Amino acid sequence: MKKFFALIIFFVVVLHAQTDWVRWSGAEISYEIKKQEKKNYAIGNASPGTKFLSGIKNAYYFLISDLDGDNCPFYPSCSNFFVASVKETNLVQGGLMFADRFIRDLNPIKGLNHYPFYSNGKLLDPPENYTLIFNKITYIPGGIVVGDYDSSK
Amino acid sequence: MIHRSETLLSGLIRIDLLRRIVRLVKPIRSAELRRACSAESRREASHFVDCLQVRILFFFFLFTVEIFTQPGNSNLFSAGNRLKFGNYLFSQNDYLRAAEEYRAYLKVESDDTARFKLAESLLRIDRFTEAADHFKGVFFSRGLGDYARLEFYKALFLGGGYVRFRQTVNQENYMPDKFSTEVKRLGMISYFFDNSVLPDSSEMFHYFDDSVKIRIRKFYLMKKFPAYKNPLKAAILSAVIPGAGKIYTGEIGDGITAFAATGLLAFLAVDNFKAGHNFRGWLFGGLAAFFYAGNIYGSAASAQIYNAGIKFDFNREVKLYFEKRNYFLPSIDFLK
Repeated sequence: MKKFFALIIFFVVVLHAQTDWVRWSGAEISYEIKKQEKKNYAIGNASPGTKFLSGIKNAYYFLISDLDGDNCPFYPSCSNFFVASVKETNLVQGGLMFADRFIRDLNPIKGLNHYPFYSNGKLLDPPENYTLIFNKITYIPGGIVVGDYDSSK
Repeated sequence: MIHRSETLLSGLIRIDLLRRIVRLVKPIRSAELRRACSAESRREASHFVDCLQVRILFFFFLFTVEIFTQPGNSNLFSAGNRLKFGNYLFSQNDYLRAAEEYRAYLKVESDDTARFKLAESLLRIDRFTEAADHFKGVFFSRGLGDYARLEFYKALFLGGGYVRFRQTVNQENYMPDKFSTEVKRLGMISYFFDNSVLPDSSEMFHYFDDSVKIRIRKFYLMKKFPAYKNPLKAAILSAVIPGAGKIYTGEIGDGITAFAATGLLAFLAVDNFKAGHNFRGWLFGGLAAFFYAGNIYGSAASAQIYNAGIKFDFNREVKLYFEKRNYFLPSIDFLK
């Protein structure tokens, strides 16, 4: 009889056994690098000005950014912000937006819940918020993580 | 045909189960129990109990099977069952599937309560236009007409076209007699949700209870005189002292950084000019000017973002406040 009960208890235990993998809802580790910004090396042909700017941008990519790696704490990165803001407005205003962004990047306590986070862990700071047009601003409270943000919209 | 075959199947299963039980009990009966039940042993109480227990067990099994059998000829998808299941789903807050059941029921039967619940389900899953259309179908019901009109207005309000909603309220189309104050109050609440010019304060507060008037007055003042910061003021401040505009808009870290960066570059420029290094002087001077101008621009932009934040916070607070109180609308008893 004892053996019988022991056998039952044994099977009950075995049937309900979970591995740690299940217990703590383990997941496969992915080493894929997510959501890196793509660099656009194409040279803009709209005017001599854009050609010149694209040249400077590509020189920066080639000589500094590619060697230094993905180090900008913001999304979009400062160089992409500059390109996007010039496209969004004009060269002078885009330059001013970039200067402002550069100062904000110098700020050592910028990560203190002031900006929302993009899903790749960077601070989300789209150029549309700085065009001085109130209705273009999409305000997102600081500190929260934004799943997906399409800057082309 | 289906029902008959179902009955046949359940009958066969029952017979099979019985056969199994008999087979299970048979060996025990045949060997030990026949001895136990014999006349001599029956005097001994324990043996007698054994025998009785086995019998009880047998009949218990027999009747469990009988009790749990289901009638094979009931239609699970009858209109009545659809309604019952829809009501159950509604009570479980599963409005999407409840609406489906009500819709199926309404194909067969005409029932104002079911139509009302269908519309209410659609309203609660944010399908406002459909909900409003279905509420229209109950407008002339004797018991539910007023409630349907009230919920129709709620659907219009939640649908988001506040200007159109206020037009409907002002024209008093389908206005419920019982709840006209509530609907007009909803019209006043809608002013908090869009950018239209606010009505006169006395007109606004007239519809609200004394207990909430203080809060509504606060919202009214916040809407009318939002605590915005002036972008021009921020820009001028930054032009006088680099970074002051940013501190004015609440970004103290950015302000100090801007001051330090501009100051350092300007100092380097002056120092290099003094030492006769003209190229370096122009380089640092140019950078200082670039940052100085960028900071003036950035202060104005920062003030605008601050204002957007104020607007965002206000909208959220108002939405949460009224949502929590169901927009001061009465709750409908039979939907609970």
